[in-house]
Amino acid sequence: MYAWKCWRESRARFIFLLIMFGASALLFTLMHGLTEQDGWWHFDRTEYTRDPATMVHLVSGMVLSVLSFSGFLSAVFLGATASGSEIEPGTIEYLWTRPRTRTSLTWTHWGICVAEMVLVAVVPTYLAAAILGTLTRNWNLPVLFVAPWIMVIFGLPLLGLTTLMTALKRSASGGLIYTSAVVGVYLIVRQIITVPTHLNLPTLFAGPLVWLVTNNQPLAVAFPWGSLARAVFLAAALPLAAQYLLKRAEV
Amino acid sequence: MSDVAIFTEGLSKSFGAQAAVSQLNLRIQPGAVYGFLGRNGAGKTTTMRMLLGLVRPTKGSVRVLGLDPAREPELLRILERVAFVSQRKQLYGWATPAELVRMNKAYFPRWSDDAAARLAQRLEIPMNMAFKKLSIGNQTKVALLLALAQEAEVLILDEPTAGLDPVMVDEILRTFIEDHVSQGRTIFLSSHHLSEVEQICDWVGILDEGRLLLESRLEEIRQEFRLVIASGEGLPVAQSADVVSATTDGRFRSYVVARDAERFAAELRGQGAAILEISPLGLRELFLHLSRKEDPCTPGNAGAKAAPVSSFS
Repeated sequence: MYAWKCWRESRARFIFLLIMFGASALLFTLMHGLTEQDGWWHFDRTEYTRDPATMVHLVSGMVLSVLSFSGFLSAVFLGATASGSEIEPGTIEYLWTRPRTRTSLTWTHWGICVAEMVLVAVVPTYLAAAILGTLTRNWNLPVLFVAPWIMVIFGLPLLGLTTLMTALKRSASGGLIYTSAVVGVYLIVRQIITVPTHLNLPTLFAGPLVWLVTNNQPLAVAFPWGSLARAVFLAAALPLAAQYLLKRAEV
Repeated sequence: MSDVAIFTEGLSKSFGAQAAVSQLNLRIQPGAVYGFLGRNGAGKTTTMRMLLGLVRPTKGSVRVLGLDPAREPELLRILERVAFVSQRKQLYGWATPAELVRMNKAYFPRWSDDAAARLAQRLEIPMNMAFKKLSIGNQTKVALLLALAQEAEVLILDEPTAGLDPVMVDEILRTFIEDHVSQGRTIFLSSHHLSEVEQICDWVGILDEGRLLLESRLEEIRQEFRLVIASGEGLPVAQSADVVSATTDGRFRSYVVARDAERFAAELRGQGAAILEISPLGLRELFLHLSRKEDPCTPGNAGAKAAPVSSFS
């Protein structure tokens, strides 16, 4: 039943994200075929069949440039509904007096969020891939097929961070603000260190996403396994820290 | 069923330097209806939260139905068998009472749909309106419905009737008596409405600054407790263990005496005092006298001595 409650509380955000990224994916996939003739817009499929390989490369890059934000936005907005967010409004007294462990509540919420994140990443991307493959008759779309899973991998540490911050600040808004602050401070410090010194530091956990977006030819470049390992570690460690914090919390 | 529904021994909780609950000893038998009284900040809510594992004690031990809320597996068994209505009565604003009922019943094996439907009708709850749109009174009723339909062995209710109109208060109290007290369930409730407590409770405990000042059967308070007002020079602050409280008002000194008020008055007369009044005490008068801060003659569990916990039945 707690899973239903998590879904009920996050569904508005989930549907908003799904529509936003779905509409963006559709727009970037179909915009190349839109042409104006005699003051009327119409769709010209030949734009896609003239040079299918180039069109796939172009559209994939554009779709990814927008959808790469899906991991971050899904993680932050969905993660902010974690059980820690119920402490400040006071519903936590109800929740924590139901016969369920706080650990199970933390991970049930995490599971629902991951499922929603996967859908927000998969549905728009595969929709774009299906339309693009149909229009170009070229189904060689490795970037689009692998992209949603990399977005989810990128989003998982951020979901954990948001869950932890929500538990620390005991509110959804506090969790959102502090997650954004932590990410912002990290990026600023990284820039301060790397720009003047021309250091080429590896990314903490965004390596796979950077690899996907910058290369657009994923099979040709070495995959950043170190960054992936750090992402997996953080994806597990941050919700575990939130779980520990909530287990010890008094209200 | 455990021999004792709620048991605490030396229970203490401090928040920094502030002692919220101090050396609290409770022993509430199954089937008792226990009114837990005290001024704002006396430690009632903190005590209730410790019983449910929401707050960890600094010292002392707690058992609910013989189980220790500090151990997670035991806490889950407590929560299955105990219903709680918190002071804030805050539930999910987006959910309707009907949705809250569906959500809540999945947690509790003894949940009664019949009781939920009956209470919804009896308390006139609009079941299909979002919780956040309900009046404070209706929100309180929803919280009570969710707790009462659990068919729990123990009800822990923190100011359960706050925000309700007198008709609904009466309806709720009758529900407590008909559906719960008559079935031998234990009720542990805090309230500032002493008339309600007098109506349904058989035991009361009065807490002040985290310490239990008095614990007694309500019947014993009615029959034995007396207010003795005396005047004179050099009156004693506390004469005997039977004196629960002594307060001064100008030349007069008021004593709350747990038993043998006539003997106590005779002792005062022997010391040259004039006895102006010996009168029975209602719960309200007793509470007011105990909660006054001047001349506290019986700090700690004085009342527990006046009415030993072993006399529970």
